[in-house]
Amino acid sequence: MNDDYLWDKTGEADPEIRQLEELLAPLRYQPRPLELPEELPLAPKRNYLPLLAIAATVVIALLAAGVWVRLRNEKVAPAPVQAKSAAPVPGPSVVHEETPTPVIAENRNVPNKPVHRHSSRTSKPGMTKVEREEALAAKQQVMLALRVASEKIKLAQRRTLTPSPNLIKNQHKLG
Amino acid sequence: MYELDATADVLLMTPQANAATQQVKETAVEAVLVGAALEGDREGFGRLYDLYAPLVHGILLARVPRAEVADLVQDIFLHAYRKLHTLRDRAAFGPWIAMIARNRAVDFHRRTRETVELTDDVRGSNTSDSRANEILELIRNLPEAYRETLVLRLVEGMTGPEIAVRTGLTPASVRVNLHRGMKLLREKLRFTEGI
Repeated sequence: MNDDYLWDKTGEADPEIRQLEELLAPLRYQPRPLELPEELPLAPKRNYLPLLAIAATVVIALLAAGVWVRLRNEKVAPAPVQAKSAAPVPGPSVVHEETPTPVIAENRNVPNKPVHRHSSRTSKPGMTKVEREEALAAKQQVMLALRVASEKIKLAQRRTLTPSPNLIKNQHKLG
Repeated sequence: MYELDATADVLLMTPQANAATQQVKETAVEAVLVGAALEGDREGFGRLYDLYAPLVHGILLARVPRAEVADLVQDIFLHAYRKLHTLRDRAAFGPWIAMIARNRAVDFHRRTRETVELTDDVRGSNTSDSRANEILELIRNLPEAYRETLVLRLVEGMTGPEIAVRTGLTPASVRVNLHRGMKLLREKLRFTEGI
């Protein structure tokens, strides 16, 4: 079998392929003019309107978001002025009335922080009146917790250093 | 990788270089003609029709009854003219219209019955026509990959490199399809002659 003739009609012609070509020749394409109707619309140019609409929507959404964020910041900004004229710090007597259980839980996070830093935070200009009051209440709770904790530590130290006179050692051996 | 190989073929002017050069020329011509047709040049589209009508005819002949092929070729080119703006790569007009032709053939079979195809094709006006239809029927019974390539080669008279350029298949695939398809066709022809 001559592959070259089958591939690109070069080389020695394969008689079987030649015969097939001759037999199948009547089926070959007979040129016929293309009948394009006159009124056939030309392929439309690309319509950019949907893309423009999408782009405009995105821009409007971004502008709206920007305006909203700005207005929101403006509403928050006057708060520090009010904070400066806030009510005085509530006295410690108020704090003592609160239940001690939640205070112990907060004790873990705060003990290493100096107290004066908390006081400086409470006077931050960005805080509202309510936030300031909450911060002060928290500070009082922390102080109370610290006091409770220190008392407990002192008690524990006392117990370890001075053994109780009533303590019976090696009770199981005696029994 | 393939681009590098193709470039090397062109520079060395190896036998594959002719096919590569031909491909470059044809795709460039295609792109220009598609551009002209998109700007309203009906003659430009007419040139595309002249270039690709044999390809579309061959693809259809491998799939649908012979009597339907001529009208379907016209329909496919009208459809292509309407949808030409959707063609992204102007140089790929050949593979694009080949795909339209294949899809149209599938649609045709969805709408019609196989019996119509047999009665139309087996009946021939004379002995040679009848023999041609018989051989075409044998080719149509080959696996799909081989029948289209064989019809384009044996009926439409295209060479392997031309088939590769116009359908968008690789020359290697076309060569394999031609070789294996021809082998199967010879076996079938011997079998029918033996009977």
